[in-house]
Amino acid sequence: MTKQQSPFRESLSRLLKRRTVVVALVWLTIMLAIALLAPILANDKPFYISIQGHNFFPSLSGEEEALITDPKTGIETRINFSDLSESIRKEATILNSPIHFSPHKSDLNNADYVGPFDQQYGDGGKEISGLEKHLLGTGRRGEDIMAGMIHGSRVSMTVGILSMTIAGIIGLALGAMAGYFGDNKLKLSKGRMIMTTLGILPAWFYGFQLRTFELEAAVKSSPVNLIFQLIISLVLFLGIMFLFNRLGKLLHIIKWFKKESFVMMDTIISRFIEILISLPKLILIISVAAISKPSLVNLILIIGFTSWTEIARFTRAEMLRVRSLDYIQSARSLGYPEIRILFLHALPNAIAPALITISFGIAGAILMESALSFLGIGVPPDIATWGSLLSAGKENFSAWWLVVFPGIAIFLTVTSFNLLGEGLRDAFDPKLKS
Amino acid sequence: MIRYLTRRLLLFIPTLVVISLLAFIISVNAPGDPVERMISLSASEGQGQQNQNESGQRAYWRTKLGLDLPVFYFSLRPLSEPKALSKIYDAAEKTSVQKLSRETGNPNTAIAFHNARLEFLSAISSQNDSISNLLFADAHSLKYAATTEEISNRLKRLHTELDRSENYRLTELLKTTEVKFLEYKSETSSFRNFIPVVSFNKSNQYHRWFFGDGNWITGKGAVHSRGIIRGDFGISYLNRQPVSMVIGEKVGWSLFFSLASVLIAYIISIPIGVWAGARKDSKFDNISSISLFILYSLPSFWLATLLLMTFANPDIMHWFPASGIKPVFGYPDGASIWQKFSLSLPYMILPLICYTYSSFAILSRTLRVAVLENMSQDYIRTAMAKGLPFHLVVFRHAFSNSLLPLITVFANVFPLAIGGSVILETIFTIPGMGFETVHSIQNQNYPMIVAIFTITGMLTMTGYLVSDILYAIADPRITFDKR
Repeated sequence: MTKQQSPFRESLSRLLKRRTVVVALVWLTIMLAIALLAPILANDKPFYISIQGHNFFPSLSGEEEALITDPKTGIETRINFSDLSESIRKEATILNSPIHFSPHKSDLNNADYVGPFDQQYGDGGKEISGLEKHLLGTGRRGEDIMAGMIHGSRVSMTVGILSMTIAGIIGLALGAMAGYFGDNKLKLSKGRMIMTTLGILPAWFYGFQLRTFELEAAVKSSPVNLIFQLIISLVLFLGIMFLFNRLGKLLHIIKWFKKESFVMMDTIISRFIEILISLPKLILIISVAAISKPSLVNLILIIGFTSWTEIARFTRAEMLRVRSLDYIQSARSLGYPEIRILFLHALPNAIAPALITISFGIAGAILMESALSFLGIGVPPDIATWGSLLSAGKENFSAWWLVVFPGIAIFLTVTSFNLLGEGLRDAFDPKLKS
Repeated sequence: MIRYLTRRLLLFIPTLVVISLLAFIISVNAPGDPVERMISLSASEGQGQQNQNESGQRAYWRTKLGLDLPVFYFSLRPLSEPKALSKIYDAAEKTSVQKLSRETGNPNTAIAFHNARLEFLSAISSQNDSISNLLFADAHSLKYAATTEEISNRLKRLHTELDRSENYRLTELLKTTEVKFLEYKSETSSFRNFIPVVSFNKSNQYHRWFFGDGNWITGKGAVHSRGIIRGDFGISYLNRQPVSMVIGEKVGWSLFFSLASVLIAYIISIPIGVWAGARKDSKFDNISSISLFILYSLPSFWLATLLLMTFANPDIMHWFPASGIKPVFGYPDGASIWQKFSLSLPYMILPLICYTYSSFAILSRTLRVAVLENMSQDYIRTAMAKGLPFHLVVFRHAFSNSLLPLITVFANVFPLAIGGSVILETIFTIPGMGFETVHSIQNQNYPMIVAIFTITGMLTMTGYLVSDILYAIADPRITFDKR
């Protein structure tokens, strides 16, 4: 007799048995590592430099230059890390970054589209070879494509993963609530329901409208400040809603307000999803990108807030199955609060369909981001992305390396997420278990 | 069925409201001043109301575009904010008054002071020759000053400067302004900031934008706009043509490409998908599955660029033209439709490949799964058992029960036609809606963007409705009353 495995582990081992999934996971891990280490991997500043007893890690810290004093003579020298002078080069111990170019920095020796197999020249007209070369060629201004690709992976991974995190949180929460509570589980007295609905207006007023100028100032200052101010607004908003909810109890003096009725959770959320699905997503993103300043944060937020509907739908359907299982009944009979049962007991069992959708969603988000930066919409022009490299290749077809390499990177990453999604679907699909 | 239809149609209304609200929010928040855009456009075209003075033109466009109205049906404001705030058009001026009234919590004195400083400024600008530039600049910044400290500084400076010029009228006006400012400062009632007031506005920008300024049902009596409900999306910032006219000109190619690509996708994918599904795990199934999967995740803009790079490149293979949709010098005079088509054909091949491959990959894959599920059903076994040839079993029984994916893809045709394939049309420079979208974004042509968003939303919605009805017709087992 074999040892009994938990269904999750069983699915997981089934997932890892597929060769395509393993290959996809390996590729994604590599991409993730490159994205995380991008500033160290491709940087025109050295990784480590030691001079006259001073140690620097310029590519890690991001500092442009430093002032050092010689302990013996007391002479001050300024070091520019991106452009080390010949004397410093001789004196210091230097460990260069593996790709010693930064994206968007032009190398005038190799400007105007130099291919990876063409002859490339260093300072003083010397021919360079090996790792010194631009491994994937250069663009019009002599910018290194390899460095652009490495830093581009960062953008793609960030946009894909962060936007789907937002979508996942919204989708899981709303889908789980719609599926678990349905239309006939959550009861609320009429008084509290009416008061909570009425509370939206003052909550908005005190939370956001009164604070317009504070919020506007925060938008202009820094992301941290903005998040802080937004949290204050949200706390005010929710606090006032809660207050009105409690105030509803006061209405209970009148009998009609005391009557309890069901909150149509499922109907409300499902209708909301149906409305959102009808919105043209690409056009919405393009329109919003058109009126706001191009920024990655905006892009992530828009993709995140428009992509949660699928996740919510699948989670809802799975939750309908899970909520009728015995262990939920027993948790309820133990007297746990409904919210706790929902998020701690029911949701972990209903998470598989969301994982599948998120995997496909990341692929979609990466595709969307690269398409938008290919068109030059929504992504700041000073950030190197796979899409923007590709669109630079459109200007000069003889520079095939500008089209081929970023395209392959996009294709492989998107395919890997799709393969992972397919693998997850097959592994967790109960229909195939028999 | 009828009950379902009415329910679907009822859902149509809130969706329409949400789409129109989103489009309206986008158009209200669009950067830049539409009035300035219109004026600069008429100035550059050298036509229109040239004899009118500038402020008259401004007022004309403001009423024409409905910008002097409150934004929405109801508005929420603190009691401290003056109700006339929506009448102030300049955004910076508005913020200034808003901040002032919030500081003391007194709307009336704030507005009175604001009017006094406006009057002072207009008096200065009306006699510009005898007044120093410094004075004018100070008066101008007084108009936007938003803190009491800044205002009193400005007033002091204006006072000393005016003393020198001995202009009695201006000194009088400045004195009134100062009195109003003192009045404004003297009375503080900050508690008003914390009292919300809801006010309702019967005529507002949203209503005007959606229903026009005539009768909201019949549309009679409209002077400035007939409303988007009657297809009036305003005027394009680029050439001052009605937006709906521009869309009418551009939609042709997009419609052609989306329809043609769906037809081609049907023709290719039906045999592939059905055959692969009917013979699961055969060699054909395996090969087609892999290649379809690759096609499915191939980014269309990459494939398009690769195709252009290889087949429209003078250095490699110059088989097709790289951009446009018809010969550079246009069609010859009196060319028949067939001649036009054959002249345009080389321009259409590469775009059509890119338009088609992704939808045929999706279609084949979903068809395969649908057929696969049907093949294990009892009725297929019965059909086989009674001796029906295999291909008849597959195409007559299994296929006709797997029509749903075909319908889903068809529902996407119409929104795609208006939104256009933004990416492909840009790469191949096809003069359709997608190209127009990108062009509008690059030139901040917001009325066009809003129109495209609204129409695509409505068509997506209609597409879903039509496909749901077609589902019910194709598969009578689907009952919608209890989903």
